[in-house]
Amino acid sequence: MSQSNRLAQGGRIDRSRELSFTFNGKSYRGHPGDTLASALLANGVDIVNRSFKYSRPRGIVAAGAEEPNAVIQLGSTEAAQVPNVRATQQALFEGLEARSTNGWPSVQRDLMGVIGKLGGQFMPPGFYYKTFMAPASMWMTYEKYIRKSAGLGRSPMEKDPDIYDHLNRHCDVLVIGAGPAGLAAALAAGRSGARVILADEQEEMGGSLLDSRELLDERPADQWVAEALEELAGLDNVLLLPRTTANGYHDHNFVTLHERRTEHLAETAPRENGRRQARSRLHRVRAGRVVLATGAHERPLVYGNNDVPGNLQAGAVSTYIRRYGVVPGNKLVLSTSNDHAYRAALDWVESGREVVAIADARPEPVGELVEQARAKGIRIIPGAAVLEARGQNRVTGARVARVDLEGFRVSGDAESLDCDTIASSGGYSPVIHLASHTGARPTWRDDILGFVPNLVEGVLAAGGTQGVYAIGEVLADGWEAGSRAAGDTGFDTVEARLPNVGARNEGKPVALYQVPHEKPTLRGPKQFVDLQNDVTAAAIEVATREGFESIEHVKRYTAMGFGTDQGKLGNINGMAIAARCLGRSIPEVGTTVFRPNYTPVTFGAVVGRHCRELFDPERYTAIHQWHVEHGAEFEDVGQWKRPWYFPRRVEGRMETMHEAVARECRAVREKVGILDASTLGKIDIQGPDAREFLGRVYTNKWAKLAPGRVRYGLMCKDDGMVMDDGTTSCLAENHFLMTASTGGAAAVLEWLELWHQTEWPELEVYFNSVTDHWATMTVTGPEARKLLAEVTDIDLDREAFKFMDWREGTVAGVPARVFRISFTGELAYEINVQANYALNVWETLIAHGEKYDLTPYGTETMHVLRAEKGFIIAGQDTDGSVTPEDLGMHWAIGYDKPFSWIGKRALTRPDTARTDRKQLVGLKPRNPEVVLEEGAQIVFDPDHAIPMPMKGHVTSSYYSPTLGSGFALAVVKGGQQRMGETVYLPMVDGQVHEAEIVSPIFVDPKGERQNV
Amino acid sequence: MSNSVDDKVKTFDTRTEAKVPVESPLAYSYRRSGAPAPGEGSGVVVRERPFLGHLVLRGGAIILDEALREVLDISLPGEPQALVFDASGERSVQWISPDEWLLIVPGGEEFELENRLREALGDAHFAITNIGGGQTLLELEGEAVSELLMKSVIYDADPHHFPVGKGVTTVFAKTSVILRRSSETRWELVARRSFADYIYRWLLDAGEEYAIGIVR
Repeated sequence: MSQSNRLAQGGRIDRSRELSFTFNGKSYRGHPGDTLASALLANGVDIVNRSFKYSRPRGIVAAGAEEPNAVIQLGSTEAAQVPNVRATQQALFEGLEARSTNGWPSVQRDLMGVIGKLGGQFMPPGFYYKTFMAPASMWMTYEKYIRKSAGLGRSPMEKDPDIYDHLNRHCDVLVIGAGPAGLAAALAAGRSGARVILADEQEEMGGSLLDSRELLDERPADQWVAEALEELAGLDNVLLLPRTTANGYHDHNFVTLHERRTEHLAETAPRENGRRQARSRLHRVRAGRVVLATGAHERPLVYGNNDVPGNLQAGAVSTYIRRYGVVPGNKLVLSTSNDHAYRAALDWVESGREVVAIADARPEPVGELVEQARAKGIRIIPGAAVLEARGQNRVTGARVARVDLEGFRVSGDAESLDCDTIASSGGYSPVIHLASHTGARPTWRDDILGFVPNLVEGVLAAGGTQGVYAIGEVLADGWEAGSRAAGDTGFDTVEARLPNVGARNEGKPVALYQVPHEKPTLRGPKQFVDLQNDVTAAAIEVATREGFESIEHVKRYTAMGFGTDQGKLGNINGMAIAARCLGRSIPEVGTTVFRPNYTPVTFGAVVGRHCRELFDPERYTAIHQWHVEHGAEFEDVGQWKRPWYFPRRVEGRMETMHEAVARECRAVREKVGILDASTLGKIDIQGPDAREFLGRVYTNKWAKLAPGRVRYGLMCKDDGMVMDDGTTSCLAENHFLMTASTGGAAAVLEWLELWHQTEWPELEVYFNSVTDHWATMTVTGPEARKLLAEVTDIDLDREAFKFMDWREGTVAGVPARVFRISFTGELAYEINVQANYALNVWETLIAHGEKYDLTPYGTETMHVLRAEKGFIIAGQDTDGSVTPEDLGMHWAIGYDKPFSWIGKRALTRPDTARTDRKQLVGLKPRNPEVVLEEGAQIVFDPDHAIPMPMKGHVTSSYYSPTLGSGFALAVVKGGQQRMGETVYLPMVDGQVHEAEIVSPIFVDPKGERQNV
Repeated sequence: MSNSVDDKVKTFDTRTEAKVPVESPLAYSYRRSGAPAPGEGSGVVVRERPFLGHLVLRGGAIILDEALREVLDISLPGEPQALVFDASGERSVQWISPDEWLLIVPGGEEFELENRLREALGDAHFAITNIGGGQTLLELEGEAVSELLMKSVIYDADPHHFPVGKGVTTVFAKTSVILRRSSETRWELVARRSFADYIYRWLLDAGEEYAIGIVR
C-alpha cells in the first residue's frame, strides 16, 4: 500500500527506513519518527474508530494527547494487549499491530451503526440515569451491553510478560513540558546549578518548535531545540525524561511521571544484555518547585457534522505536514476565529495542495499571517464560518456562511464548497489539568478567551499554560519561571540568554465556540462537543433545559469530559454552550474539576514491582525454613507467616486440617507439643520509673512484682476498652520485658511512646523493640519438663522454678531465658534465645523430643487450646467495645492503684457499669457435633418476629478433641448472670442452633495442669 | 551465670563461645532464592555482614557522648542523621532519633561493651538494649547502587545529596530500613531480621537489570 498522503520531502521522519505495521488486520508502511496516527494518515486511512453512542465513523482529529477518536488497542498476542492508547502518542515500530477499540465486525462496515442510528434516538442525554438506574438489579446486564458497544478497549486475559518500576526522585526544579517555555525554564534553572528534571510526553522534546514556522536567531526553530537539548544533556544536574507524561500533581509538589521506556521499540520490552528491563517507570518526584510548561490545546469549532473523518484541528494539520511530512487530504477549507490557525492553510498550500477557502469569523481579519495567506492568493471569507460538513465516511464539502456572533445566528446565505478536509480553530485553551489537580480553580481571562491556572505555593507556570502564545514572549516567560524556581530553591540565577525572535503582528481573535446554524441546535445536524463521548451541543442544551445548571451536573448528565480524553478538546466549548443556554458568562458557569491521571496509565506502571511475591512483605521467623520443610500450612498474622498446622501423611493420604488440629491438640494435652512463638511482640523496658509506667498503662498492679516473676497484664485504651494483653516479666528492679500480641506489637510500642512522650515525659523509662532479637519456642504438655531437662542447665524443679517464674541459663548449649507461662493450660516453658541460634535450638528440641512424641503445632491448635481455657485473643474476642469487666477479668483491675491508669476513669461511666453489656461467656452447643460459626448472632427467643432482638455474637468457635464436642466463646448481653440458660443462633440456611451459656473455661478450671 | 537479681538492670550475654551452629537472617533466603555471584558487569554488589553486635543507646546526648568517648573513643554524633566511625572503621554510632543511637560493633564485643558503658554511665538515666539477633547489615557497592536505591527507598539517595557519614531510617518498598553511607562507594542497609528476606528478594528483583551480584 502506498503512502498516498506522504509528501516527497520534509518532516522529521527517517525516510531511509521503512517500518511495516498492521491496523485492523491490514498491512501498511511508515517510517521511523512516525506516530501510528501520522502513519495512518500517510496511508490515507480515514476511519479509525466508531463512536461511542451513535456508532458514527471517526477519523483522526488531533496530533497529541487530546486526540479523542484514535484510541486504539495494541498488541499482537493476548498477553501484549494494551487498551486505549492514543494513536497520536504511539511511536511506530516494526511489526506494530493495532486495531480499533470500537466497531464490530469492522469500522468500515459497522453493524452497530444501524443500531446506533436508531439507538441514538433512545440514548438521549441523561441516558444512564433515566434508563439504567432502575431496576438496579439489571445494571449488570446493561453494563455488559454498554461495555461491548462503548469505545473502550479491553484488558489482556494473560499474564503481563513485562516488568515495571517505581523510582523515587527528588529535585529542586521539575519542569513539565519541553516546548519553548519548558526548554527555556530548564536552561535557566539548569545553568544556575539547581537539580532539574525536564519531562516531556512526546517522542521528541521541543513541543511546538518542532513544527514551527518561526525563526530563532534567524534559523529554523528546531536547530535551537537541538542545541538546547544538547546543552541540557551535558549538565550533570539536569535529567531529561522524554516519553514521560506528568499524570498527577499531588500535595506538596509530589508529582507522578509516567515514563514509557520501551513502548516505542516493541510491544513487550526487549531484553538488554540478556536481562529484563522495565517497560515503563513511574517516577515519584518530590520537587522544590514545579514549572508547568504544558502549553495549550487548540479548541475546535462546534459545527454540524464536525465529526466526519476529514475534520481536523488546524494545528494538527500543520503538525502532520511539518513534522511528519503527511498532508491529510487534497482540498482544504479552514474555519477559524484567530490568526494563528492560518498556519494550517499556509502549510497546506506550500505542500502543493489546494486551499479552497478560509472562513474567518472576524469581520475584518488583519495580521501578518492573514497577509501571507492573501499574498498566496488564498480566498478569505471574512465574518464567516463553516456551518456544516458534508459527507459520511469522509468530508466531501463544507457549507460556509456569514455568521452574527453577537446574535448567535447565520446572517448570510450559505455557500457550498467542495473539499475533503476541514480544519478548524476556535482559539487555544491553556492546559490547566495539572494545576487543577492541586485543587486550585482556574480563572477565565477574556483577553485570551481561556482559563488560566491559579497556582498553589511552589508551582509556577510559563508560556501557553499562562495564555502567553507569541514565541518570543513564551521563551522569556519560560526563562523567568525557571530562574524564579531556581532562586526560590536557593540557587543564584544567571543572566538570560535567549534567541532573537521577530515580533509578530497578530490580529485579535474573536470568541466563537458553537457555530450557529440555520436550524435550531436541537433540529440541525449534530454538532459534536465531546467526540469521545458523543456529546452534542443539543445534548447540553437539553441538559440545561431539564434544569441542570451546575456545570458539574451537566457533565455527569451528558458524560461530557469522561473517558480517556477527559475533556481536553470539548470541555471549554461545552461550558460556553451551557453558558449561552443559561444566559450566563463562561466564568459564571465555571469549569469542572480535572483529576489525575492526565492520560491513562497502565496498571503495570501503577503497580511497579509491588506484585506477585513482592506484593506485600512476608515476615519470617528464624525457624521458618524448618516449617516449610516439614510441610506446614501457613497463616498470615499481620505480615508474619505463621505455621497454621502441620498436616501429616497418614495411611497414604494427607490429613485434613481438622484431623491435623485434633492430633496436635491431643499431643499437647497428653504428651508434649512445640510452637514457634517468635512473632510475639517483645518490648524491653528500662529505667527507674519502668514499674510506675507499667502501673499506669496496665489495668492491674505491678508495684510488687519481684525480679524473676512474670505477670499477665491487660491494657486498655483511654475509653476503658481492652486494647491488648500479654505477660510482662520483671528482669530486675528497673528492667522489664513486656510481650504483646503478634498483630498488636507495633501499636503497643507506639502507644507506650505516645503516653511517655506526650503525657508523662518526667518518667525515666525507655522502650525498645526486641521482637526480632529473640526467637521464642513454647514447649508445652505433661512431658514438657522431662524434655526440657534433657537440654538445659536450668533447675526445673517445680518449687525452684514455679509457674509464672522466669529463669536464665542455657538451652541446647545456647544462652536462654525461659519463662514458665502457659497459653495452653498445660505445663509450659517459653524458651527465648538469640534468633541466630534458634533453628539449631529448635532442631535439638525436636531431636530430643522424638521419644516423647514431641509434636509441632500451629496457630490453629494454639487457638483451640487457649479457647478451651477461656484465654482471650485481643482483637478476636474483643473488638474495641469490650471492657475488662465485660471479660469477667475483675481480678486483673487495680481500682485502688494510686495513679489513675489509662482507662480507669472510663470504667466508672454509667455505660461501662451497665449490667446488660455484652459479656464474655462460654457456649456449649446442645448438639456436640455442631461447631458454631464465628460471628453468628445470638438471640434469646427464636420465635420472636423478625427482626429479632440480637443479644450477642460468637467470637471464637472450634471443635475440641478434649471435650469431644464443639465449643465457643461469645459475648452475650448480661451473660455473666445467665449461666445455664439456653440461647439460639439462627443461621442463614434456616437452621437454628441451640447452645447453653457456660463458663468460658472449659478445661481444667482450677488451673492444676499448668501448675504441676 | 547466676540468676542474680541484685542489679537494677539485667544484662545478659546472648552469645556463646560454644560451637553451636548459627544462621544469619538471610540463611534461608540464600538457599531459597539463590545468590548470583558478582561478575564484571555487576552494577551492584551486595555483601551481608551478619552477626555484628547491635546495641541501641537511649539517653541524653551529653552523658552518652562522655561514656562513648571514654569507652570507645568515638564522639557521639549529635547532629540528626549523622553517622560516625571509629578510626578502624569497624565500629559505628548513628543518630536515630533525638534520644536514640545505634551502635554497631564487631560481633562478640557487644556484651562487654554494654557492661563498660553501663559502668561509665553510672546512675544516669539511659538504656542500652542488645538487638544483634534482630538485625543484619547489608553493604551495597557499585555504580548502579543509587539508582537501585531510588527504586527502593523514598528518601533522597542521590549521592550528591546523601554524603558519606549520613544515615536515615526510611521506607524501603513496603517496609523500612536504616540507610547509611559509610564511604564514597559504600552504602549500608540495616534490616530487621523478619523483613530481611523480603528486602533481599526485592534487591534481587530490582537489581536484575544491573546484574546484581551477592558476595557470600
